[in-house]
Amino acid sequence: MKCEGEKIYADEGSCPICKMDLQPIEEEVKNFSLEEITETSIFNLTSKWNTEEGEEITLKKLKGKTLVMVMIYTTCKAACPRLVADMRNIEVKIPAEFKNEVQYIMVSIDPKNDTPKRLKEFAIENLMDDEKWTFLQGTEDGVREFANVLAVKYKKISPLDFSHSNIISVFNPQGDLVHQQEGLGVDNKITIEKIIETVKK
Amino acid sequence: MNILKTLGIIITSLLLISCNKNEKNEIAIVDPAEIYIKGTIDAELTSPPFVPAPVGNRVAKKLLVNMEIIEKEGTMSDGVTYVYWTFGGSVPGSFIRTRIGDVVEFTLSNHPDNKLPHNIDLHAVTGPGGGAESSFVAPGQQKTFSFKTLNPGLYVYHCATAPVGMHIANGMYGLILVEPEGGLPPVDKEYYIMQGDFYTKGANGERGLQAFDMNKAIKEDADYVVFNGKVGALTGDNAITANVGETVRLFVGNGGPNLTSSFHVIGEIFDNVHIEGGSTISKNIQTTSIPAGGAAIVDFKVDVPGTFILVDHAIFRAFNKGALGMLKVSGKENKTLYSGVKQEGIYHPEGSTIQTMPDENGKKTAEVKVVEKSLTQKMKDGKQVYMNTCFACHQSEGQGIEGAFPPLAKSDYLNADVKRSIGIVLNGKTGEITVNGKKYNSVMTKQTLTEVEVADVMTYIYNSWGNNKTNVTVDLVKQVKNKN
Amino acid sequence: MKTIVRLAVTMLFLNSIIANCQPKMVKIKGGTYIPLYGTNNQKVTIDNFYIDVYPVTNQEFLEFVKKHPEWKRSKALKLFVDDNYLNDWKSDTILNTNQNLQSPITSISWFAAKNYCEAQNKRLPTVDEWEYVAMSNENMPDARTLKNYNEFILSWYEKPKTNIQTIGSTFQNYWKVYDMHGLVWEWTSDFNAVLISGESRKDVDKDNDLFCGSAAVNATDLMNYAAFMRYAIRGSLKAKYTMKNLGFRCVKD
Repeated sequence: MKCEGEKIYADEGSCPICKMDLQPIEEEVKNFSLEEITETSIFNLTSKWNTEEGEEITLKKLKGKTLVMVMIYTTCKAACPRLVADMRNIEVKIPAEFKNEVQYIMVSIDPKNDTPKRLKEFAIENLMDDEKWTFLQGTEDGVREFANVLAVKYKKISPLDFSHSNIISVFNPQGDLVHQQEGLGVDNKITIEKIIETVKK
Repeated sequence: MNILKTLGIIITSLLLISCNKNEKNEIAIVDPAEIYIKGTIDAELTSPPFVPAPVGNRVAKKLLVNMEIIEKEGTMSDGVTYVYWTFGGSVPGSFIRTRIGDVVEFTLSNHPDNKLPHNIDLHAVTGPGGGAESSFVAPGQQKTFSFKTLNPGLYVYHCATAPVGMHIANGMYGLILVEPEGGLPPVDKEYYIMQGDFYTKGANGERGLQAFDMNKAIKEDADYVVFNGKVGALTGDNAITANVGETVRLFVGNGGPNLTSSFHVIGEIFDNVHIEGGSTISKNIQTTSIPAGGAAIVDFKVDVPGTFILVDHAIFRAFNKGALGMLKVSGKENKTLYSGVKQEGIYHPEGSTIQTMPDENGKKTAEVKVVEKSLTQKMKDGKQVYMNTCFACHQSEGQGIEGAFPPLAKSDYLNADVKRSIGIVLNGKTGEITVNGKKYNSVMTKQTLTEVEVADVMTYIYNSWGNNKTNVTVDLVKQVKNKN
Repeated sequence: MKTIVRLAVTMLFLNSIIANCQPKMVKIKGGTYIPLYGTNNQKVTIDNFYIDVYPVTNQEFLEFVKKHPEWKRSKALKLFVDDNYLNDWKSDTILNTNQNLQSPITSISWFAAKNYCEAQNKRLPTVDEWEYVAMSNENMPDARTLKNYNEFILSWYEKPKTNIQTIGSTFQNYWKVYDMHGLVWEWTSDFNAVLISGESRKDVDKDNDLFCGSAAVNATDLMNYAAFMRYAIRGSLKAKYTMKNLGFRCVKD
């Protein structure tokens, strides 16, 4: 029963209009980090990562938004530019009202060369230097483990070259994998539907 | 150039038709990709030699196929075992029957006890690798993918995991049928037969668990060429059957890995052959060629009773490597179509035992003191010898073949004199004899068997089918041998 | 013959009981070789490292689980293990009656294996390190061209239930390491560097479109079927998978 609409009082007592007792309300701040994560959440990984801004984080830091992730490396001349384009095309097609609910993560499979500085340059070159895009440098071990969670395969071919599978993965705000799109320049209709569906939940 | 000509002809004939006919042609050509599916059913899967029920008039549906991969030991021939890799536990794998326009949702499960990853390439699939990429599955896992059937025909499926040749050579193949709209014309009997070549470490007939031999496979030097995964899969009690007057359709495939099959049914002519499993029908064919990784649909009417032998007409494969099956037709004789036997010549059916003088090098048995085996053991070993050496003429239950080969079951001639019988096995027999009141005048060649094998097989014969239960010892065989 | 083998096994068994506190490792002297899946016949250089003489046993893994309860069957996170994780055990800390303490541990995921090794201050071997040790027979460091070496491996594919044998029941190789072949498959740290799609006929293609590196996968020696299957099994795995025929051992720098 609300006689004054959404009005909130800071002190305990009774309503000055209808004289009913005031009920304390739960703070409805969207604070995901208090929620339990599921067993299958990617936030169970404890590995450490550096962002392109030079900040050290664990993946849990990314909690709360729908995540679209891909593994690339910056010196790649063949598949990665297309993967980057695929990511950009996905971002463009997300309706405006959901845009702030989605975070795009590029994880480097070449942590040796892809330093935060290099990742920042890459972000600027590719016009991906706003809030929505995050670039991550991990450790060799952390990257291998992360790839295994996504079932991405990769192999170092030469100091500047890797073979890798081309997979774009979508995670819900709790870090559970909800969709994977495999291939280059494939129809991203289902991926976009999944992202919107996840954001709406 | 030729194509242009044909096109020209087709166009003119079309014009003629449309000139002659004022009304529009009602039959629209439907693009199979556009065929609408209605409802979902579980696919019926069958082990060879049986096939699922025809599709008949049913509409296109979503068809759920669940297939399990099992690596297991099985029998290649009597006394010879082999580790088969199978789709659905049989070689060839389960038969899948679909109609054009079906959407097949295929789930491939790899049994947790298996050691290797596998996948499936269905030749009926239009898509990369025939499904191989989407179905690559580790032991203890399963994968699902779906495809729409766009072309009618009989197609091979097989495993395509490296090394592909080895996976196929171990038995990973089968057939999937895509029937046209309305189904194939109905027949009385349908069977599923698939030829395959096998390569073993030991030679043909060498006992025990035989390992796969990669070198022989590369040289295409097969030890066994068989129907349905093993010697005798379609003979004796396992023969396929029909009745006089029925039409029989055989779905014949060839898994390979290497050899082309010259498929022939002795004593029959194929009325219709879907060449290579496709849409062209050839009529009145004696022998049809089925390439490795290919298939054919043959049908024929059986008019007279008897046993019709299915062979790969590369004939040494049939009589020496196992590519032999039987179709038993029962019913009334028709003397105008086939007169029956006029015994004139002598026919030597060849058993799989090569009938030669004993090979001095191969059979150099040192003078070992023979320890007499138990009766159970002798029965077991004796049966193996019998099935390898005697079965072709005297038949599985010792019934023989009337007018040609005397019976061993309840046989007065056999039971009257053990030593005489042993002598016949050791030295052969020609001339007329009377068995159970019937005269036989045929030839039995001298059998190349060791003394132990003779003792075993004679014991088996005497202790089966109502005979007098004599236990033939190795010493007794020696006695008979030394007398001659 | 058989009795001798059995004797040897029992002696080994005694040995391993004595040396139970610290499973033995041996030193592997590094070198250069071309692995089956070499990239453009590129040689791979291996540094010196230490490797476990035997695969990790049921007993060793049981002790690990007791010390690290987060890896108990009921506790392990579904992100890291599939539903078959340790599914043959009677309970979280009790083996089944038909399981031998000295048999290799199987039905464990890559994550579990990796964590086990890290708990011992070790790590999983790389594919190249594992293959380097595995290419030896009893008396040569590289026996890959020998017929009987390959036949032994190929024959193992046809033997059922080898995972219930005890460690040390196959041959001791040139490096004094046991059971590299003939017992179970083994996890490697970078198994997912094997880019086999399962479509073997395509795998020998160099598809620029699919891979950044032009030479994605091409076997230097396609005839080496024995090794080929190891790569096929690696290519079919995901890190959370657990398999009845898949165990592991650890290495150390």
